[in-house]
Amino acid sequence: METMNLIELCHLDEIAEGTSRGFDTSGRGRDTVFLVRQNGELFGYRNACPHYGTTPMAWRKDAYLSGDGSRIVCAAHGAQFDIATGECLQGACLGQSLTPVRLTITDDGRILLEQDAQ
Amino acid sequence: MKIIGPDALVFGVDDIAAASQYLIDYGLQAVDAGPHGGRFEALDGTAIIVTRQDDPSLPAPLPTNAPLRKTIYGVADQATLDAIAAELSKDREVRRLDDGSLESVDDMGFALGFQITVRRPLDLPSERVNAPGDHARPVNDVGVDEDRVIIPRSLSHVVYFVPDAAKAETFYVERLGFRCTDRFIGTGPFLQPAGTLDHHTLFMIETPPFMLGCEHFTFHMGGPSEVLLAGTRFVNKGYESFWGPGRHKFGSNWFWYFNSPFGCHVEYDADMDLHDEEWEAREAPISADASQAFLFQYREKWIPGGDPQ
Repeated sequence: METMNLIELCHLDEIAEGTSRGFDTSGRGRDTVFLVRQNGELFGYRNACPHYGTTPMAWRKDAYLSGDGSRIVCAAHGAQFDIATGECLQGACLGQSLTPVRLTITDDGRILLEQDAQ
Repeated sequence: MKIIGPDALVFGVDDIAAASQYLIDYGLQAVDAGPHGGRFEALDGTAIIVTRQDDPSLPAPLPTNAPLRKTIYGVADQATLDAIAAELSKDREVRRLDDGSLESVDDMGFALGFQITVRRPLDLPSERVNAPGDHARPVNDVGVDEDRVIIPRSLSHVVYFVPDAAKAETFYVERLGFRCTDRFIGTGPFLQPAGTLDHHTLFMIETPPFMLGCEHFTFHMGGPSEVLLAGTRFVNKGYESFWGPGRHKFGSNWFWYFNSPFGCHVEYDADMDLHDEEWEAREAPISADASQAFLFQYREKWIPGGDPQ
């Protein structure tokens, strides 16, 4: 039977509207997933641009968005992604999408990442 | 045509403050910088110029809206400038701007500028190394100074994504006097203009048309230790390492690439090979092995057994 791990990322209060934040879920010194909060909704993706498949996207810690906060931007080659769907709208991986992660938000506002057990 | 190399790259960005801070943290010196953007210079006066993406003075963007808006080449003298104007005027518009520079476009659509170079001659020692048989660093001169100020020395090269590398190469070779120094087969050429001995100031990578734009730019540092120390400081400020540190084979330059808010990577490089017309270009299929002699990845400082408690 498939089992699932829940990893606590942060509290809803710790990611402001219109911002993004990365998390090092494997403890290897590099953020593996990131969250974006937009219009009250929360979106989470793997920190891996589909252009090369595994490469990190921020240009600085937690910096995953365009200047006006309207799109996710990969800081490798400037590919732009729709925040809600993860679809690449412009740039190196046109037609591909970010890989979403499964999130659970507890009644008291903790954001949990669902991960298949290794 | 004595084109020396890129004097400046002009980027149109959507967040001036973030882009400016990035370049300052990278090590460039802000000149006339503010909310409008500014000029961020290396020691020899070569620079990255940051403007708002809707600045009306910018040349038209590429169809991909890539943030790189213009590559400005420095040339040796007015005669070279006149020769470029005469050559490019044969089949395309060449504008003479108020500052005396030329503005035109290459065969892929990249906006080009040409000006009498702003490069100031540098009289600085490179990184000195001691080895049995050749002690290059003076006695009592210490090799490691973690606090030393590190400022990039000179804008080294720019790399383009192009949909037709052969056609793009022909323009630079036949119209502007560049030479191919080495080539990744099926990918693109390393190109050297006639006014420098640097292995390359331009490299091109063939990609689908929707990727047309800049892959990276880089500045020459004083030596490999400066690449590693500047890169370590950059990581510690929260910037995202992309590839490196390592050392390329073609060109032999040390490298360390970072993500950036310029829609391209930004590199530190050092100790690139010099070549003259005696050099015969090599060719290789591109691969991880062909791209580097060795590759390392940053990790936090560590000591065997851990720090004493």
